[in-house]
Amino acid sequence: MQKQKIDRRDFIRITSLSSGSLAIGFLVPGFRSLDLPAEDCEFFQPNAYIKIDKKGKVTIFFSKQESGQGVDTALPMIVAEEMDVDFRDVKAAIAPFGSVRRGEHDTGGSQSIMEMYTPLRKAGAIAKAMLISAAANQWKVKPSSCAADKGEVVNTITMQRIPYGELVCAAAALPVPKEVSLKNPKDFTLIGKSEKRSNLKDILTGKAQYGLDLKVEGMVYAVSERCPVLGGKLVSVDDTAARRVPGVIKVVSYTGTGAPMHVRAGVAVIATNIWSAMKARKLLGITWDEGDKNKESTEALFKTFAEKAVQAPQIKVFEKGDTGKNAGAVQMTASYAAPFLAHATLEPVNFIASVKAEGCELWGGLQLPDWAVNTIASDCGIKKENIKVNLALMGGAFGRRLHFDFAIEAVKIAQQVDKPVKLLWERTDDVQFEPYRPANYHQLTAGTDEKGNIIAWQHHVLGTPVAYMTDGPNNPHPEEMDGADGGFCYDVPNIKTGYTPVPFNINRGWLRSVDICVNTFPVESFIDEIAARFKRDPYEFRISMLENRPDFKTGEGPGSFTQSPKRVAGVLKLAAEKIGWKEKRKPNHFIGLATHSFIFAKSYAAHAIEIEILGPKKFRITRVVGAIDCGLVINPDGLLNQMQGGLAFALTQALKGEITISNSRVLQDGFFSYELLRYDEMPPVEIYWVDSQEDPGGVGEVGLPTVAPALCNALAAAGYRPRSLPIRNEGFSWV
Amino acid sequence: MPIFNLNINNKSYSVEAESDMPLLWVLRDLLGLTGTKYGCGVASCGACTVIMDGNAVYSCQRQVGACVNKKITTIEGLSEDGSHPVQQAWQKAGVPQCGYCQPGQMMAAAALLAKNKQPGEDMITAAMSDNLCRCGTYHRIKAAIHIAIEDINK
Ligand code: FES
Ligand code: FES
Repeated sequence: MQKQKIDRRDFIRITSLSSGSLAIGFLVPGFRSLDLPAEDCEFFQPNAYIKIDKKGKVTIFFSKQESGQGVDTALPMIVAEEMDVDFRDVKAAIAPFGSVRRGEHDTGGSQSIMEMYTPLRKAGAIAKAMLISAAANQWKVKPSSCAADKGEVVNTITMQRIPYGELVCAAAALPVPKEVSLKNPKDFTLIGKSEKRSNLKDILTGKAQYGLDLKVEGMVYAVSERCPVLGGKLVSVDDTAARRVPGVIKVVSYTGTGAPMHVRAGVAVIATNIWSAMKARKLLGITWDEGDKNKESTEALFKTFAEKAVQAPQIKVFEKGDTGKNAGAVQMTASYAAPFLAHATLEPVNFIASVKAEGCELWGGLQLPDWAVNTIASDCGIKKENIKVNLALMGGAFGRRLHFDFAIEAVKIAQQVDKPVKLLWERTDDVQFEPYRPANYHQLTAGTDEKGNIIAWQHHVLGTPVAYMTDGPNNPHPEEMDGADGGFCYDVPNIKTGYTPVPFNINRGWLRSVDICVNTFPVESFIDEIAARFKRDPYEFRISMLENRPDFKTGEGPGSFTQSPKRVAGVLKLAAEKIGWKEKRKPNHFIGLATHSFIFAKSYAAHAIEIEILGPKKFRITRVVGAIDCGLVINPDGLLNQMQGGLAFALTQALKGEITISNSRVLQDGFFSYELLRYDEMPPVEIYWVDSQEDPGGVGEVGLPTVAPALCNALAAAGYRPRSLPIRNEGFSWV
Repeated sequence: MPIFNLNINNKSYSVEAESDMPLLWVLRDLLGLTGTKYGCGVASCGACTVIMDGNAVYSCQRQVGACVNKKITTIEGLSEDGSHPVQQAWQKAGVPQCGYCQPGQMMAAAALLAKNKQPGEDMITAAMSDNLCRCGTYHRIKAAIHIAIEDINK
């Protein structure tokens, strides 16, 4: 990740490219024991991921950022597997920023397991090989006469055993081997077995420290009032009343920034405690210059989408065959829409910054810390080398913390006070000023033969692209097309897809499941509509277009992925079988299906959702079956948690999640108006997975995209076809 | 600034604070009891739930001045070692994802079970439906509550 600006695609390309190579984190000074004379050795640390002390205590460091997805458990499991240590004896810890290669801390796109699987196995195997060599030297036998077992080296001739802890100093004196052999996956004893989260006890006793829980010596607190319109400027501020609030130290202002993060101009209240800052903030008298982009509304935006949808797409994305010449005998069109969405992590974003003459120290949760440091350096005029980062556990991320607007703000505020400052985004700030998942609109056209076989498929996606915000409006690259580009998995001879970006003055960012989620809703809805029109079984209809299609490449070069329609069919079969698709339905019960591939994370998922109709447009979800194929499963319990939780996340957006905008201002201001799914709305869920030895894929996002279309297809089976999310806007209600 | 004597987790604390400061910030920022979480500050998420005189309450909605002579329990006081039946059940069910909402979830469940050892599904739903979990762990929360009910009735 050399360049300062990256978009998400680059990020995924780069991380997936690096995954094949032996990319074992390097060591930073003070972090290694290799140079020490053996008698001074305290611990053995062959690489950035492993530390064993003389008592045999094993610490495994994870370089990906934990926000609930379970990398703090799955990644250490991979290391522990190759090291042959008992996982219950392992302590997992965040790899300090800078202890691994640049970019390796980047966490997103469901890439962590894919990227780290092989390097971490090698890291573990290296440690084991060195411990075995150390023992072999002691026994004066060949390493091949030794084996590792549960944290000990075993002499396979004499059956003597030495615990790893006793070998620490001898192992630390050995050279690090360049080549090591890895286990045969058949011999795995840990990978594939469920493990509880490594910090579970800390979470359950309230000891887990999230960014917001950190306290730095001498720290003060800040909240900030931001320009209501993106791009506006501060004209004047009257802080007389605010400064009178006991505890207030100072009121400071800062300017906004442009790409990539679009920090709004703001006025921050700094106080000895957060409560004083919050109270004083309400007393600020601020005049803003809103600029001329202060009239945007989502109502107008969706009108523009609808008008432009019937014109040709501004950007051609994928073309196969000729949809003009081979239009098919029967024509169908449909449009679908979905709104802006907020991430709404339960821990609102927050950040601690301390700026001194000699440099700047930061504390907080970041999904892309390297990019954050580069941008903070340029936006705040601080030398990159002088920025120290302390990464923290995150109370949810979902892509919100790929952005670091809040970190830039914290630094801008800390530059104006001689103490470390903790900046908190109150919930209203979080819902009103975040980088939103783009609003989107889809025009679909299909031409079929008399039996409904699809001859031609056209998909026009309209949206407010993220890339326009991160890279500026001259970026021609529509990065919003996964699932509606060369990876379209159904076997259709003539395809044409394209994109039309529409400018809109609100910040945008990547939300969990990103454009695959955006595009799977219309695709899987429309496939169902075609099946219904020709009275084809929607399950068989899909299978017929997937099952016999060989794997294919989605494009040329390093940015292309392999698409496997067979695996897309495989998860659909599993979901249909488990819900009893072919069985007779109970009265008033309807089932909807949807399937897809989460292509850049090499994983596949389908949902089958059963509803009971209780009245006009009123329903209850009676059963949800999720099926996933993510290759080799590292931690089944983690996989289940992601799929179960992903269902709730996806149902929120299918049922009621929506950000609306008027006069360039977000109308929702918290959980009362931006509602999340609640306990009483969680339907019964069953998850099944395909037993597979394929390389492991990512599971954090794959569980979302098929939820909304499966639900909508169930409603359509009952006679109601939703065309926009959230379905509450179309008059649906549920119990 | 006034001084308030508080009984938290069976210990007495005296804190100097503005009397309108919510208990939430007193716990977190003045007493270092950061297990109680901020999620909204306006009674919409439940992350800040503590038990006060036997009831689950939002600590963001209680001014410190109104908390004297009350018996307050936070997640740190539910048990120090995670041995409370609710924590044990949460452990067995592997509930947390990010974990941020979980102290509030567990306090809500603990308050319910302290009052009623065998609550029906409706009571559980009523007690838990105002605690949001963005990671969507509701399925496991439900399982954990049933494990806890079984354990305390053994
Ligand atoms: S912080 Fe108290 S209810 Fe959300
Ligand atoms: S576990 Fe993340 S919000 Fe509940």
